[in-house]
Amino acid sequence: MGLTNTPSDLLPGTLELLILKALAHGPKHGYGIVEHLRLASKDVLQVGESALYPALQRLLVNGWASAEWGTSDNNRRARYYTLTTAGRRQLAAERAEFERMVGGIQGVLRTT
Amino acid sequence: MTSLLRRCWFHLTHSRHERELAEELETHRQLRQAQLERDGLSPAAAEAASRRALGNLTLAREDARDVWTFAWIEHAWQDLVLAIRGLRQSRTFALVAIGTLALGIGANTALFSIFNSLLLRQLPVRDPPSLVTLAQGSWTYPIWRAFEAQTTSVFDGTFAYANLELDLAPAGRREPVDATYVSGRMFDVLGVAPLRGRLLQPADDRPDGNARVAVISYRFWQRRFAGADSAVGATLTVDRQPFTVVGVMSPDFNGPDVGRIDDVVIPFAAEPILRGVDSGLEGRRMWWIEIMGRLKPGTTIDQAVAGLRAVQPGIRSAAAPPGDKGFLEEPFRLASASTGRSPLRGRFETPLRAMQATVAIVLLIACASLANLMLARALARRRELSVRLALGASRWRVTRLLVVEAVVIVAAGAALGLLFARWSGALLVQQLTTWRGAVSLDLSLDWRVLAFTAGLAAVTALIAGIVPALSVTGVAPGEAMKESSRSITGDRRLSVRGALVVLQLALSLVLVIGAGLFLRTFAALSRTPLGFAAGGLTVAGVNLPKTVEDDADRRALLARIDDAFAAVPGVRAAGLSVITPITGSGWNDQIGAANGRPTAATRTYVNAVTDGWFTVMGLRRISGRGFTRTDRMGAPPVTIVNETFARRFLAGRPPIGQRVTAGGPRDRREFEVVGVVSDAVYRSLREGVVPTMYLPLAQQESASSSITLTVSTSTGARATADRLLADTLRSVDPGLTFALRDFDQFIRGGLTQERLVAMLSGFFGGLALLLAAIGLYGIVAHAVDVRRVEIGVRMALGAGRAGILWLVFRRVGVMLALGLGAGLVISLWAARFVSELLFRLEPRDASTFTLAVAVLLAAGVLAAWIPARRATRVDPALVLRDG
Repeated sequence: MGLTNTPSDLLPGTLELLILKALAHGPKHGYGIVEHLRLASKDVLQVGESALYPALQRLLVNGWASAEWGTSDNNRRARYYTLTTAGRRQLAAERAEFERMVGGIQGVLRTT
Repeated sequence: MTSLLRRCWFHLTHSRHERELAEELETHRQLRQAQLERDGLSPAAAEAASRRALGNLTLAREDARDVWTFAWIEHAWQDLVLAIRGLRQSRTFALVAIGTLALGIGANTALFSIFNSLLLRQLPVRDPPSLVTLAQGSWTYPIWRAFEAQTTSVFDGTFAYANLELDLAPAGRREPVDATYVSGRMFDVLGVAPLRGRLLQPADDRPDGNARVAVISYRFWQRRFAGADSAVGATLTVDRQPFTVVGVMSPDFNGPDVGRIDDVVIPFAAEPILRGVDSGLEGRRMWWIEIMGRLKPGTTIDQAVAGLRAVQPGIRSAAAPPGDKGFLEEPFRLASASTGRSPLRGRFETPLRAMQATVAIVLLIACASLANLMLARALARRRELSVRLALGASRWRVTRLLVVEAVVIVAAGAALGLLFARWSGALLVQQLTTWRGAVSLDLSLDWRVLAFTAGLAAVTALIAGIVPALSVTGVAPGEAMKESSRSITGDRRLSVRGALVVLQLALSLVLVIGAGLFLRTFAALSRTPLGFAAGGLTVAGVNLPKTVEDDADRRALLARIDDAFAAVPGVRAAGLSVITPITGSGWNDQIGAANGRPTAATRTYVNAVTDGWFTVMGLRRISGRGFTRTDRMGAPPVTIVNETFARRFLAGRPPIGQRVTAGGPRDRREFEVVGVVSDAVYRSLREGVVPTMYLPLAQQESASSSITLTVSTSTGARATADRLLADTLRSVDPGLTFALRDFDQFIRGGLTQERLVAMLSGFFGGLALLLAAIGLYGIVAHAVDVRRVEIGVRMALGAGRAGILWLVFRRVGVMLALGLGAGLVISLWAARFVSELLFRLEPRDASTFTLAVAVLLAAGVLAAWIPARRATRVDPALVLRDG
């Protein structure tokens, strides 16, 4: 089923967080987001389409991102996703939540 | 919220979304392919790799789409489509199920809508809950005047009315119309508005004012004036007096009485104009008026009753007849009138309740039948359902599928049932109309009826859907998917169906017993010997002209009528009487010298007749003589009695020549018995024969203005007989008016309630029997089918036909025994509730019960026989080979 090495298996909602962060750096299309995540995580996170696109739809439903058709670098029609104001707020909130979770896990690992 | 809106938007444009997503994914793939090519793969390999990376496209697209849709709507829609498709494939099942339900729900709704209209619906007036009526019975006009004057502190407004039939014809044959006298303030107190013109006002109800005004009903306006505006101001001849129509009532208001449409409404002040010297307005002993009032805001009924009782002595002294000590002794009571009044309620309440119970049972049987059918169907679909379970559907999902199917069936059945209810409800109400008067009930659907139907449908769907779903989805998928099951043990799930069939049998027995009792009651009642020959008799209710006021003049006119008919060729016999038998009216008196009210032991019924009446009614003279010309005013009072009277009051000595004291407390007189005639029914078929005293019409001091003329003509044709009567009456006095009926109408009217109940219970009893038989057949057929292998093995091992039959019937016998046993117990308990509807029959009548049990037994055995015979035809070799 494709490379679905998604963090969403581990912490639900993390994929949306990552996508939101990727979009914070400017509008991207789907493939662009995948590449950004791969490069930024040094090949650790490789997101498959079957996980990516449902996540993108969720962002659209909740109004955290907006989508527009445009032309990609290789002159193809692609859909560009842009972060909205609500998305920015959601990004900050989810980031804080994620750091809280990670802090909690690290706390447990340290004490043992 | 906004995400909700976005989702809705998605639904509207979803095909475009699909295309865009597809395009987006394709672009993504191409970009990846380009990347892979840059990384060094050949174009072909890059393309293949990128496609692989894209993964399961379908799943991706579905997942993407699922984000947008409401999952439950999607699933519900799918279930609905699937259910409808499945039903379309099994057409017989669908038709039988929907048909059964339509009948069950429709019958219940029809009866409930009659109930609703008669008992529950509020009057379409202002603030119905504050309306009250002076309870239990009619009042006199003097009481009303005193009441109106003395209760202003208790009520916010009061009014009175009296229903009767008036005549629109200018002369001769009457054209009856349902009319009402009302007091001036009625419309004002009720708070209704006219559709055209104006309604009656207090100024119309004054003796010195112009009381010749009338308000007509919407129906009358349409029928008589074709809805023309010129109706207001037109002249209407009522009882040969001209009235001016001043207004038309709105279509939803038909008067304070439920079940009756008041076509012509006139003020009380018009009554003396119509009745002349017989006016009832001064009658201190004429009880004919209903009184209603509106409570002051914030007052309860009890407070109003207290206030009323305080003024009761004042009303009593103002309205009492001189010298009457016991007048108005009973304390006033008030009853709520938010649903109007209706004489129909008393008359039809018990049979309506009995019918309601019957159709409720029918619905239960229909539910059980439906559950059974659905269970059978679910069992047949076991393999399909197991495949669904194996493919990953949750048990809840499959259950939901079956429930949705049940809901579809029930919804279709309920919709059809509503239609059926409208039609059958109207038919039922039509049956209630007799010679006594037309019954009209507004059966339009209001929220109560719709809520009732919806509630019934919901409960039915739940019961019928859950039961099979729960029992079928409990099967392990692998087990059920096997092509053939060589299991030789029976299916334990048959016990649920068996229980349903037992329930159906029990309830059907109750209904069949009920049908038997009511049919026998109707038969017994309609076969009651009347004592007189009712065939071919024309009964004319004759009214003397108002101008003939004097008692003596009236007596002379009556005598002239009698003589006229004696002389007409073509008339075999004719007679006059004050009371017409079987119409429910009666005149009774007390025998003996004791004071107080007549008891059963001292009461006799009375009728004043001419001698020709005995002949025309076909009463036989047992002994003595008939009335002759010598029996007139001033001559010694004589009487002719019937056999029952002679037996009860004149026992021992020969009746002729004996003296009898009879009469009310004020006019006790002594009569000489001069003849005995054969028995005849007096007031109603149920009451049957009672002791009757016949007095000569010529010896009645006070002559009423109406009399009954009974005629038997030699010509058979109805029209000719009517014309003969009309001509003869006109030749005596053109001012006579009359209404013609024939006796069968009275008899039919007297049997209305019993006929209705017998018809309905017979129909539903038959239906219940059919449903139970079908249910039994279904379950036995299925059992035989399932146990085919077992039967094959048994036959191969040497069992004979009888043995196989015994095998099948053993189970059937258990079900029949349980079902009929339970049904008997229920019937024995419930029998006491219907005793007042029966005639000459004990509610626990042994022969009816036995016959019903026998009928059900026979039906059950027959229903089981067909599949049982199939069982014996099983070829063991075939069965064992194919399994």
